[in-house]
Amino acid sequence: MSEEGRLLVAGTVPLQSLPLTLAEGKIEDACLNLYGHRIPCTQGTGALISAAAVTLKYLGLKPPLALVAGDAGRGGGSRLIYEYLIERAAEISPEVLVLHYWLPDLILMKKLCEVVERLPKKPKLIADAASMYAAKAAGLASKFDLFTPDLAELAFLADPEAFHPAYINRHLIDIETGAPKVPSLISQVYEVKGAAKVLLVKGEADYVVKEGKILEMISEPDIPAMEAIGGTGDTLTGLVSAFIYAGLELHEAAVISAKANRTAGEFAQASPATRVWEIIEQFPLVFKQYLCAWSGVCIIEDSTP
Amino acid sequence: MAFKKKPSFEGRGIILFERVEEALKTERLLREAGYACKLIAPPPALRKGCDLALEINLVEQMGIERFLKERDVNYLEITSLKGKATELLGIVKVIDFGEAVMVKAGNMKLTFAKGTGVILNTSGGGCPDIPYLHFQLLDKRLSEAPKPRDIGFTLCGLMLDRALEEGQRLWIKEEHE
Repeated sequence: MSEEGRLLVAGTVPLQSLPLTLAEGKIEDACLNLYGHRIPCTQGTGALISAAAVTLKYLGLKPPLALVAGDAGRGGGSRLIYEYLIERAAEISPEVLVLHYWLPDLILMKKLCEVVERLPKKPKLIADAASMYAAKAAGLASKFDLFTPDLAELAFLADPEAFHPAYINRHLIDIETGAPKVPSLISQVYEVKGAAKVLLVKGEADYVVKEGKILEMISEPDIPAMEAIGGTGDTLTGLVSAFIYAGLELHEAAVISAKANRTAGEFAQASPATRVWEIIEQFPLVFKQYLCAWSGVCIIEDSTP
Repeated sequence: MAFKKKPSFEGRGIILFERVEEALKTERLLREAGYACKLIAPPPALRKGCDLALEINLVEQMGIERFLKERDVNYLEITSLKGKATELLGIVKVIDFGEAVMVKAGNMKLTFAKGTGVILNTSGGGCPDIPYLHFQLLDKRLSEAPKPRDIGFTLCGLMLDRALEEGQRLWIKEEHE
């Protein structure tokens, strides 16, 4: 298995016995298969890797590499992942590096960013979930190419001293009540240097922001139940990571991913009881119908008998 | 390959104590249990009669609270070391989907079926116990679901616990109407 130049996703999974594992992410029966370990395709890094794997398979590209370890919250698996990346990032030399669920550790995050900065070919660097919390809290947001916050996390990014979205300055909180205030919050995030180069803000409407400027707002199809479904934010990050790996510009990938995630929810007739795998399995159908029009990336099926 | 010892520590959370010896004892207990921590002087705004406090990784607040409770450790409070926000986000919102209700507590959401009280989904958050808690809570009745406070470790888990508590309160109210 060639490791270089790949899409690498790093994060914890809720199987406490799973050792540190680096493997290609392949889908089998609604589960991720990582070198024989079956990872449930549910909320978290499993959903992100699954979404990326389905997308890359459709595009005819190599599957994502997954660097995972079991961790139910005590941080042991998280530290194994940080340490492996710090030691081996140069050897793996990913094209795109996605950091996802893990216990925030500011010192290890700073070390990892120093290592990534020194790589001969710096990967596109993406953070979501608690990796994004750690990147921002360590003052490293601007080192990242893309963050994918929801509205509560956007308020966290706008608070220069917050360490976690559960402790944020209260004057930022009412922002979550309505979309019209999101643009001012986005401005604050960039003012306090809490943003990556590009933000894909997930919410009732999704916002694609580049260096403080809102490039696009995507609000259709409107599927309110998506907010209730655990993992739909993770699938969005998986989609955008895959499209960036495929060569799209950051903001283009973000716009297409927001549209694809919403449309997959529509195709799945999403309700609050829908599971995230039901969304992911719609992606090939969504791509087949819309990707060519959205992106110009057109897969021509061979009709030769 | 595991690092034997962290070279330094930035945790952004603080445990305040009434007495110095409690801080010293707690540092030893937490270190033995594998939690990163260090003794610090509390900032003036947080001094409550003590002169020694313990810095912890704020994200691990819930697991540490449970750990200290199990060992009868006396402390005044756990709070954020930096920033204007020294209290957890207390805002809870309820969204009615018709057949289901979603309770939002901070960055966490829990959705249950109105007719049965069964948890249909949890979403939001980013800490490593959240996918585990998602797994543990799905398809359980609100009254039977394990409390994130009892099996989780992080601030995201604590916010999910608040969402579950509010969901249980709404469910009991609905049953009695």
